[in-house]
Amino acid sequence: MRRMVIARLAWTVAILLGVSFVAFMLVRALPGDFVQTSAGAQNVASDVLEAARRELGLDRPLLEQYLIWLGNAVRGDFGYSFVTRQPVVGEILPRFVVTFQLTLIAGLIAMAMGVATGLASARLRGRADWIVRLYNGFILAVPNFVVATLIVLVVGLYFPQIAIFNYTPFFTDPLANIGGLLLPALSLALAVSVTISENTRAAVLEVSGQDFVMVARAKGLLPRTVLANYLMRNALTPIVTVTGLQVATLLGGSILVETIFAIPGMGQYLFDSITSRDYPVIQAIVLLASAVVVIVNMFVDIAYARIDARAQS
Amino acid sequence: MSKADPILRVRDLTARIVTRKETFQAVRGISFDIGAGEAVGFVGESGCGKSVTARALMRLAPEGTAIALDGAVDFHGQDLLRLGEVAMRDIRGRRIAMVFQDPMTSLNPVMSIGAQIDDIVCRHMGLSRREARQRTVELLASVGIPDAAHRADDYPHQFSGGMRQRVLIAVAISCDPELLIADEPTTALDVTVQAQILRLLLRLRDERGMSLMLITHDFGVVAGMVERVNVMYGGEIVEAGPVEQVFHAPGHAYTRALLDAVPRLDSAGQKQ
Amino acid sequence: MSDTVHNTAHNNDKEASRPEAVAPRRLPFTSGQVLLVLGLVMLALMAVVTIFAPLIAPYDPALTSASSLAAPSAEHLLGTDSIGRDVLSRLIVGGRTTLLITSVAVFLALAAGLVLGLLSGYVGGIVDDVIMRVLDVIFAFPVFLLAIAVVAGLGPSVPNLILTIAIVYTPAMARVVRGPVLSVKQWDHVEAARSIGMSELRIVLRHVLPMVVSPIVVATSLTLAQTIFTITALSFLGLGPPPPDPNWGGMLAEARQFMELAPLTVIAPAGAIVFATLTFIVLANGLREVLDVGSVR
Ligand SMILES: Nc1ncnc2c1ncn2[C@@H]1O[C@H](COP(=O)(O)OP(=O)(O)OP(=O)(O)O)[C@@H](O)[C@H]1O
Ligand SMILES: [Mg+2]
Repeated sequence: MRRMVIARLAWTVAILLGVSFVAFMLVRALPGDFVQTSAGAQNVASDVLEAARRELGLDRPLLEQYLIWLGNAVRGDFGYSFVTRQPVVGEILPRFVVTFQLTLIAGLIAMAMGVATGLASARLRGRADWIVRLYNGFILAVPNFVVATLIVLVVGLYFPQIAIFNYTPFFTDPLANIGGLLLPALSLALAVSVTISENTRAAVLEVSGQDFVMVARAKGLLPRTVLANYLMRNALTPIVTVTGLQVATLLGGSILVETIFAIPGMGQYLFDSITSRDYPVIQAIVLLASAVVVIVNMFVDIAYARIDARAQS
Repeated sequence: MSKADPILRVRDLTARIVTRKETFQAVRGISFDIGAGEAVGFVGESGCGKSVTARALMRLAPEGTAIALDGAVDFHGQDLLRLGEVAMRDIRGRRIAMVFQDPMTSLNPVMSIGAQIDDIVCRHMGLSRREARQRTVELLASVGIPDAAHRADDYPHQFSGGMRQRVLIAVAISCDPELLIADEPTTALDVTVQAQILRLLLRLRDERGMSLMLITHDFGVVAGMVERVNVMYGGEIVEAGPVEQVFHAPGHAYTRALLDAVPRLDSAGQKQ
Repeated sequence: MSDTVHNTAHNNDKEASRPEAVAPRRLPFTSGQVLLVLGLVMLALMAVVTIFAPLIAPYDPALTSASSLAAPSAEHLLGTDSIGRDVLSRLIVGGRTTLLITSVAVFLALAAGLVLGLLSGYVGGIVDDVIMRVLDVIFAFPVFLLAIAVVAGLGPSVPNLILTIAIVYTPAMARVVRGPVLSVKQWDHVEAARSIGMSELRIVLRHVLPMVVSPIVVATSLTLAQTIFTITALSFLGLGPPPPDPNWGGMLAEARQFMELAPLTVIAPAGAIVFATLTFIVLANGLREVLDVGSVR
């Protein structure tokens, strides 16, 4: 077990290194650099541009730039935003918290909906199963930004009293903050809930066929006890794994949903930074988001292995 | 112990397994009795309907199927087939209990051994958690789990196959059932462990005075264990009677074939 | 797993007192066949509209008129947008761009995934290790984030969008190919072919490839659905094909400003996106059942 954890940790670090390298190269190797972009159409003397590049460290070999950047990044220093000249970390952190909140709420909604529908379709079978599967198939075809746009449309047309574009910071009014995030989170959650639902259904059906469920019923236990302690406790492992894998989808989707609902999160910031080619910010966000995904998956893997070891060794 | 007053009287029991694809008649009108404190063997080849019969008595269908039952299962004057599900739940585990074939898959891997006995004890005996745990430990000790108080907190994967079957027997006897159904309780175990488990079952039956329905495909197993035996073939009981009689003077060709398959110590083709 | 019917304890109860329970009646076709046919019909519809887009579209999609945000009428079946362009024409022509990018990109991802997956699974050893580790790294990125970063850098043009999406979906494709290849190459007839001296390339083409076709077909169909999402989402953010050409994601984004005045300007492209995605999802599910492929990851 400890061996497995260490191996998984090492692998995570390796992936993160790879991810950071790709993130760095991807952004840096792209045509058109920041200096040129900010100079725009103005005719700036080339030695001025060169000086600016030198100041920003853009004149050194790429590999060296990467190593410097990585060394600093490991110490939590992602450099300064080219645009605001403020430390990237300070710029990203408050926005990261907002996005974190949004994805967390969305994840919880998706989990609740997915487990409920998946369980219903596995246990009730027959017609309920069909209805849930049709619903899932259809919802899967509706992208989150379409859902978000339609929500905004419906609210605008029929519930004008709901103010959707008013983001309230958590510490100003926690309830208003969470309330305001519910609709964005819902649009983010729908497609994810389908994945969770389908996996819940499969997991519950799989566990239902196990001998120990029959033994539990042969004990005369109440159906709710069988469901909670025998079925769900075993089905939960794959469900949690799938949810972990969906973190990437949630983070990616938050870019769209934040833009639509005007939520000052990381997604919106990334979008702005791309427009202005603010390399340090883009790198930091791409790295951070990927790191979150990689690390969440690592925890899911380890948790899975632990429960698995119990089940099988 | 006589069969003068059967606690279980089964008449014309049929069981049809209904799946989405087909309906399959697994039990075709069988009748038998089990007396108080009596041990009855059910013998037959694989697929002849022994397990379906056992599950029919407890009205348990495997997931994904339904079993359509017909006939009568008279248990202490109550027809189990006409009983509501709620009343049936009070009988399962409490008055009729069952030990299944495969101890490796019959325990919930994510619950401790103790918790899996606590829950049935709490359900049927109305004990507090502490009292239930005390009874659990006693039960584990009585089926031969050493250091039961500590082992109760262990998980199934920390137990060997034989130990797990002991645990499952502890589960089954936990509420002092009147009838214990053991469905091939030793098939999945090593030969040496098999004998131990069978001896344990016999001992428990004597100590507790419960009836035992012992299902097996191996005549050798029932020979020394039960008073009467029913031989099943193709969903029917083809021969029934006291074990010595069936053993020494089998009336049915199929029974003779089954008996020939029993390994004898003196025979050359001794099986592993 | 799916052949599960009514059961469980409480149902059993009813069964017990109602022994005449019969097997459910059977339909002359399976749900997979229904889905497959439905998916193919939807696909055909989309293909016809896409191919003959300029002929079908009633107006030039770039043609502005004085009546902006007009309600649906006989002239403009879906009304007009904020600068008076015909929504239906833009929808029809916009589908062209979206579907063109989608299909070419997925085809490239499929080709790349096939080569990498076959190489990785069939050759094995160090080649496998290197390919899979590199793909793992790409896989670790949230797909959409990676797509944004690449497109933003390369600049949003049709070829760049195609390239981006091909890059982003190659790892998933390679994995789908590699799995079955690993198991297929152990099989007897592959061993036998090798023992009679058949060349490796022919073994791959004759024996290995046919075995991985089913999972690939299903995975391709699912990837097409995901690609519709990615491409329309990028366009929605303004990272889609450049302006004069209409596209569904861009139409949706543009229409948001005035959508309360003319809901159809939003609902029409939204419906088109859903229809296209649904087509490939239905197709994938139908194929999965008909070809009897397990779940593809
Ligand atoms: N869930 C099921 N679905 C369909 N058919 C079943 C199911 N369970 C049992 N059967 C059928 O019912 C018949 C009787 O099965 P049963 O399990 O009672 O056999 P058995 O005598 O216990 O055999 P074994 O010694 O292998 O345990 C078999 O032919 C089997 O194919
Ligand atoms: Mg059996």
